[in-house]
Amino acid sequence: MTTFEQTFEELPLAGVHDLAAARHAEGWRYVQILAVNTEEGIDLVYSYMKDGHLANFNVSGVKQTDVVPSITDLYLEAFVCENEIHDLFDVAISDIAIDFGGMFYQLAEKAPMTVVSPEQLAAREKAKKIAAAKAAKEAKAAAPAEGPTGPTEEEIQAKIAGLDPEKAAKVRAAMEAKARKAAEGKGE
Amino acid sequence: MSKATVIPFGPQHPVLPEPLHLDLVVQDETVVDVLPQIGFVHRGLEKLVETRDYNQFIYIAERICGICAMGHSLGYAETVESLMGVEVPKRAEYLRVIWHELSRIHSHLLWLGLAADAFGFESMFMHCWRLRERVLDLFEKTTGGRVILSVVKVGGVVRDIDASQMAEIVSVLDGIKGEYTQIMNTLLTDTSVKNRTVGVGHITTEDAAALSMVGPFARASNLPYDVRSFGRGAYGDLADFAPITATEGDCYARVKVRCLEVLQSIEIIKELGAKIPAGDIEVAVKGAPADGAQASNVLEQPRGECYYYARGNGSKNLERMRMRTPTSQNLAGMTVALKGCDLADVNMIILTIDPCISCTER
Repeated sequence: MTTFEQTFEELPLAGVHDLAAARHAEGWRYVQILAVNTEEGIDLVYSYMKDGHLANFNVSGVKQTDVVPSITDLYLEAFVCENEIHDLFDVAISDIAIDFGGMFYQLAEKAPMTVVSPEQLAAREKAKKIAAAKAAKEAKAAAPAEGPTGPTEEEIQAKIAGLDPEKAAKVRAAMEAKARKAAEGKGE
Repeated sequence: MSKATVIPFGPQHPVLPEPLHLDLVVQDETVVDVLPQIGFVHRGLEKLVETRDYNQFIYIAERICGICAMGHSLGYAETVESLMGVEVPKRAEYLRVIWHELSRIHSHLLWLGLAADAFGFESMFMHCWRLRERVLDLFEKTTGGRVILSVVKVGGVVRDIDASQMAEIVSVLDGIKGEYTQIMNTLLTDTSVKNRTVGVGHITTEDAAALSMVGPFARASNLPYDVRSFGRGAYGDLADFAPITATEGDCYARVKVRCLEVLQSIEIIKELGAKIPAGDIEVAVKGAPADGAQASNVLEQPRGECYYYARGNGSKNLERMRMRTPTSQNLAGMTVALKGCDLADVNMIILTIDPCISCTER
């Protein structure tokens, strides 16, 4: 019985067609192409399968100025995904064997999958905060232990960067007030 | 030879309830080229994953298509479980496969009825759909729903099938099997059916492989690709599983493969029903997929391999959910099958490929 295995690898944009040619020559099946809208651009995932091995290749951060080479000269069946990605994500793909020229889907809005919803924006901000807080925690753990000296200025700023913007402003205002009060005390 | 003429087929056509459009380039009565088009009812369901958490989205996934509802909820759940490293209890795996195979039976019976109707074999259409109703009755008794089952969740299933219900499933399937075998034999030996299907819409094994075709469409061209043979979940506990194939590669072979797959599904359900282990039917799933984590999955839907992909963003909402449906994969094969056929055979070729536009326009 063939066993199932899935892998993910990075692939440069320039290597898309070469990889397809290599996979085609080795007898891999084309499975699909998908796109993911990210802050850095559009990620494309190309999938091929052979003997139960589902190999996914991630082309990260494709820009609107980039032109992606079509693989339909090797895998005709990819014309569906390529036209779909062009219409829904506005990714330019050259030389599609059956090119609908942007008329594959009847859309009310251009590139609807590139619209970032409020929920997605909130999720991304939350992910950033978590990453900032994690980085601050790691920095704190990496710092040499010299007794109870308290957090450094960088650590405090990193922690504030991880907070909700409104809360961060309040914390900064409180710190400034505290600093002013301390300065006034010294002046007396 | 006369000059080429373009004849539009669909998007509204009596033989297909779903909107598929073909530009058929014909010379005399022969189709010399085909341009398929979909996209008339695209719903953007994948975009909704941004506004629903990963537990809620399962109810959207199963509404992608009424025929493949169980498969979509299963494929989605397996992908999220892979993304989050969740291991599903063995009993839940068995229950999932039992419902999924019942879905395959109801899908193939629905298709067989529609195909029989297109042949002008209306009594067979009635019989196929009568048998299908008994499968839907089993769904209703075991899940509460007839089409949208809502029985799969991330981490397992929400309902169990007790011993008496399992015995009833086996009993009903035994009853269906007897009647279905009579119907199948009538269909497969009927002269008028053979006249319409034998040698029509031929695809070679090499073409099927080169076009990455999937499902019964590929297996009828002797391409033995079936995701179930990977032996994941309860499929791995089957004593023996081999994809049903045919060598002819024509419409008749596609009819035959689907007909035999109904019997195969009945045997799978009976075997798993006898072997099903006791235990939990779900595990608690907590937390959220990590930011940037991604997982892919394939599932054998009634029409063939369906690909699922999920990417997390650290929240309970997924960053991306994607499904590549079997029909999407088979569109290129369909154009090849149609080239060179008689105009009158176009309906039969499309029917035996069994495109599901509802899934494709998710």
